[in-house]
Amino acid sequence: MKVEFWGQEFEANMVTGCAGGFLIAVMSSMFGFGGGPFMVPLMTVGLRLPMYIVVGSSLLAIFFNTTMSSLRHYQFGNFDPILFLCMFPAALAGGYIGPQIARRVSPIAVKRLACVGLVILGVKLLGVF
Amino acid sequence: MNRQLTAIIGFTWFLILALTVWEGFAAEGPPTIAIDKMTIENGGVITVTGRAPAGAPVYLEVWAADKTVRANRFDNKKDKQTGDVPYIFYLTYDMPAYYKIFVPAELRPELDAIMKEGGSWKFSRALDALGADHAYSVPAGMKIERYKASLMASIIGSRGDLMPPMDTVDNRRRSMELVKARFKTAESVLGADVETAPDGTYRAEIRIRSGLAPGRYHIVAVAGNGLRSQPAEFQNRIGFPVVYLGTAGTSQNILWPFLLTLVVAVFGVLMGAGGGFILNPLLVSLFPLPHTVVAGTVTPTVLFSQGSGIYNYSKIKFINWKLGGIIGCAMLLGGFIGPKLTELITLNQFKFAFGWILLLLAGLMFWQTMPGYLARNKKEQAILKEFKKRAEETALGRKA
Repeated sequence: MKVEFWGQEFEANMVTGCAGGFLIAVMSSMFGFGGGPFMVPLMTVGLRLPMYIVVGSSLLAIFFNTTMSSLRHYQFGNFDPILFLCMFPAALAGGYIGPQIARRVSPIAVKRLACVGLVILGVKLLGVF
Repeated sequence: MNRQLTAIIGFTWFLILALTVWEGFAAEGPPTIAIDKMTIENGGVITVTGRAPAGAPVYLEVWAADKTVRANRFDNKKDKQTGDVPYIFYLTYDMPAYYKIFVPAELRPELDAIMKEGGSWKFSRALDALGADHAYSVPAGMKIERYKASLMASIIGSRGDLMPPMDTVDNRRRSMELVKARFKTAESVLGADVETAPDGTYRAEIRIRSGLAPGRYHIVAVAGNGLRSQPAEFQNRIGFPVVYLGTAGTSQNILWPFLLTLVVAVFGVLMGAGGGFILNPLLVSLFPLPHTVVAGTVTPTVLFSQGSGIYNYSKIKFINWKLGGIIGCAMLLGGFIGPKLTELITLNQFKFAFGWILLLLAGLMFWQTMPGYLARNKKEQAILKEFKKRAEETALGRKA
C-alpha cells in the first residue's frame, strides 16, 4: 500500500503491518501495557517506514487497541475504580514531570538503565531467583 | 442360680454404663465457641476458645461474611481416563474475600508437607490429608457458573456456552479448585493453630493479616461431621488511606500504588516506553492484586496520555490516518481477544509470560542504544525535527 506523508510517498506492506499489529495487540491487551515499544520497531524495521511517520501513526494504532481492551476488561469486571482513581492522577502527574526531567538526562543512559531494570524484573518474574 | 444372677446383674450394669457413656457423648453435641474481641483494626490476633467433645479434633472455619469476590478457573487439563481436554471455564462471584481453615496444631507436619508441594498443591487433597473435609462448608455452597469454551468462542471473545448448573457434590469439588485459583497458596487458606486439651477444651490464636477485606468475619468451630458451633462474629475495620478495593478483594494503602505509578510514569517518559511494562509486573509482585484486575485497570490509565499525544501530533499534522487507522483496525481485533485470554491464565503463567516479554523488551532497548541504531536514529531525528518545525509553521500560518 502506498502511504503519503508530507508530499513524500512510501511503500508499506500492510499484510505484515496488520498481522504484526494484531499479535502485538493480543499480547499487550492481555498483559495490560501499551505496546508502543513493540509497535515502533515493527513499523520502522518491519515496514521500513521512517521514524517521523511512525511516531504519530503508531500512537493512533495503539489507541484503537487500548480503547477496545479497556472496554473488554471493563466488560469482564476486571476494572477496579478505586485503584484506577489512585493511579490515574499519578500517571497524569508523571506525564507532566517526565518531560521536565527528560531535558536534563541522557536518553541513552536512561535506556541502558532501563535495560538492566527490565532484565532484573523479567528474571524475577520467571522465578530464577 | 447364683452365677446366672451375677451374670444378669453384670450385664445390666454394663448396659447402664454403655448407655451413660453414649448419652454423654450425644449430650455434648456441637462445640462451643468464644472470642476475645469483637473488632480488629486492619488485621490483628483473635483468640478463640471453646469446648468440644473430649478427644475430637477441632477445626475452625473462618471467612469474610460481608465481602465476596470473583474467582475463575479455566480447566484445560487432559482427563487421564478418557484423554479428552474439557476446556471449561468456571466462574463464581460468591467467593468470600477471606477464607481459611485452621486445623489442629498436631497436624503441622502434614500441613508443612502440603506447603512443600508448591504450586502443584490441591485443596481437595489437602483437606483429605488434614481430615478437614467436614470443616469445609462455606465456599461449597457458592453459585458456580461454567462455560464450555471453544476455539471459535475464544476468537469472537465470548466465554462460550453456559452449561447447566452442577449437583452439590460436583459444585463442592469445583469450589475447592476455585478456592485455590483465588487464594493461590496453601498457607493462605490453611493454618495449624488449634491447640486441643484432653478434656475437649480448645484454644487458637488466629492471626488476621493486614490488607484484608473490611466488615464482618465469621468463625465456626467444627468437631466432626455435623458438629458445628454457632458462628462467632468479629469486625475488621480499616481507615483511610487504607481503602478496600472491591474487585481485587483486598484492602490497600492507596498511597503506595500512587507513588509507584508516579515514579514509573516519569521513568516511562524518560525511556520512551509506556509505564505499563514496568507498572504491571511491579503491581502483581508487590501487592496482593489479581493479575486480571491489574491488567484491566492499568490499560485505561494510559488511554488519556495516548489521547493527548494523538491530539498534539494531529495539531501539527503528524499522523498518517490511513496507516494508523488500518493497523489500528487489526489491533482492535487483537484488543478484543486479549482481555479474554487474561482470564484464562493463572497468575504464575502471567508472570512467566511477562518475564519473557520484559527480556524481549530489554533486548529491543539495548539494540536502540547500539552505535549503528543511534547513527541512523540521529539522521531520522534531524528529519523529524525539521518536519515538526515545518508542520508547526504551517499550523501557525493557517491561524494567522
